[in-house]
Amino acid sequence: MKVGVAGVGFMGTTHAAAWATIDAQLVGFCAETTQEAAGLAHTYRTRVYPDYAALLDDVDVIDICTPTHLHHNMVLQAAKAGKHIICEKPLARTVEQGQEMIRACRAAGVKLFVAHVVRFFPEYALAKAQVQAGQIGRPAVVRLARGSYRPKKPVGNWFLDFDKSGGMMLDLMIHDFDYARWISGEVESVYAKNISTAHPESATEYGIAILRHAGGALSHVVGAWAYPPPTFRTSLEIAGDGGLIEWSSDSTLPINLLLRKESADAPDVGLPGSPLAESPYTTQIKEFYAALKTDRPTRVSAEDGLAAVQIALAAIESARTGQPIKLARLPEVPA
Amino acid sequence: MKIGILSFAHHHAETYIDNLRHAPGVEMIGLADKDQPRGRHFAQVFNAPYFDSYEALLNARPEAVLVCSENSEHRPLVEMAAAAKVHVLCEKPLATSPADSRAMVEACRKAGVKLMTAFPMRFSTPLLEVKARLDAGDLGQVYCFNATNQGEVPAHLRAWFIDKEFAGGGAITDHVVHLADIMRWYLGSEVTEVYAQSNRIMHAATVEVETGGLLMLTFANGVFASIDCSWSKPNYYPTWGGLTFELVTDRGAVLVDAFKQVLTVYSHSVGRARWASWGSDVNQAMIDEFVTAIREDREPRVTGSDGLRAAEIVAAAYESARTGLPVRLNKTPARN
Repeated sequence: MKVGVAGVGFMGTTHAAAWATIDAQLVGFCAETTQEAAGLAHTYRTRVYPDYAALLDDVDVIDICTPTHLHHNMVLQAAKAGKHIICEKPLARTVEQGQEMIRACRAAGVKLFVAHVVRFFPEYALAKAQVQAGQIGRPAVVRLARGSYRPKKPVGNWFLDFDKSGGMMLDLMIHDFDYARWISGEVESVYAKNISTAHPESATEYGIAILRHAGGALSHVVGAWAYPPPTFRTSLEIAGDGGLIEWSSDSTLPINLLLRKESADAPDVGLPGSPLAESPYTTQIKEFYAALKTDRPTRVSAEDGLAAVQIALAAIESARTGQPIKLARLPEVPA
Repeated sequence: MKIGILSFAHHHAETYIDNLRHAPGVEMIGLADKDQPRGRHFAQVFNAPYFDSYEALLNARPEAVLVCSENSEHRPLVEMAAAAKVHVLCEKPLATSPADSRAMVEACRKAGVKLMTAFPMRFSTPLLEVKARLDAGDLGQVYCFNATNQGEVPAHLRAWFIDKEFAGGGAITDHVVHLADIMRWYLGSEVTEVYAQSNRIMHAATVEVETGGLLMLTFANGVFASIDCSWSKPNYYPTWGGLTFELVTDRGAVLVDAFKQVLTVYSHSVGRARWASWGSDVNQAMIDEFVTAIREDREPRVTGSDGLRAAEIVAAAYESARTGLPVRLNKTPARN
């Protein structure tokens, strides 16, 4: 199948690397300007398309790696063109947009996948498998945390534009909202606080959400744009009636570099992540691609993506109002 | 200074009795217990004089007592001590309700005796270090805490710990007060609102009180703080549990683990990893402070009012967990 990638930021670049490892045909890229996409097109010996419509014309599958607020229109456009879609998380900026996107894809008979990559990270996938295998019994209290620094972009930092990204709680915490729901089921209510509501000008953003799941389990979800670069730390803890799973990136790094600098002005050697035979982003793209070719199910659906958006927006609403937010059951979209 | 112990219902009494014996200038005069077999047992174990009744111990004219009864028995014992003009160090939580806590604070104030709540974490050297750094302005302006005080279900220590009538509740009663107190101390600000969720999934077959709990506190100065008070550590965890928090400021974050000063010990006789603490003894420091405050005739560093404040937060947490809504705390000034 012919695949095009829209958006050439960190996620477009990462997805392109994943596409390049499998038997799909990566035909090219589009970006806000053709200049931005030139580097990636050169790396993968593909084309830069002048605009999104031109790229859509040439592909069977479109991989949308653009800022959140653009997902809605781009997915509708792709559905109209009859193309299958992989959409970066969050699925949409609002629940209504997400619902419309799912409806449009159903109506057009195209598949819509949402890239909740955390489900493909081996530590998170293994924890889910352990829970499913009954290793820790029924989950009771789940703690999930994900923290880094404020996203930096030389120009057009849409992450910091609340209208575009939804801020940290939608952009970052959505990973763990989705994972919490994967582990403990539907979410009934959300209560959350964050720093930016009271201190919009602060360089530190940190959010805490308490979820109550319909089955009675509780989740404690933390997101941070608070640490000094290049910190990126995540952790999970799942306490059940038959055991406990603990994991943190802090304490499981297999390589710790303690190298003296060759000279005083030499750059610091970057810390590696956990080295893996296959990038979780590649695992994800492979699973989506296999589902396109063979109709196999995937571990995350567009409806999961929509549910995560609903939880994140409820958390934002709770932080703004100081009240717990009850989640309405989203109507099923007919197949 | 003569000090006795009223009740060995709480296992901390087993530690405090040694702390008293190591406190300079203190004569540990013995113990009394409503549960006579329990009292006699521990008197023998610790080679301590045994009094047949609380009255008998108080008649021996101690200057102070430690109250280590079931939580629900704190109030009558503290009031009895106050009536005998005896200073009191009361095990946490101060009582099972704000009303009882307030009555105890009042009784001690009227009697002119000191009432200290046993919050040993105030004497934790890692936590004192953070407090000093905070006060020096090294850490920046505090925005929030993400805190845990988790543990194993304590039923194997004493059966009454999981009995609502004697303990007052479960994980929320057991594990909220330490962190709530530390945060009040760090911030110099009071809690104005509490949100809580609890459940009883872990140990559901054997425990009737809540075993899982997540709280969010809001302070008058705008700081917010989550507390995970769950009894979520298995009883084969390397230790009983722990107390951690991430303190988030305008400059970043500080990660604190109060019980990280440990050795990991693998003994064939146990068959699993255990953490053996080499950190400084918080209980000895707390007992020493109690004794010193009496000697210097000043307020102890942790008071009955601090225990009352914590009890109010716990009561609000239960109300919030019941209603699903955040609960405002009314701010009546506490006196000690």
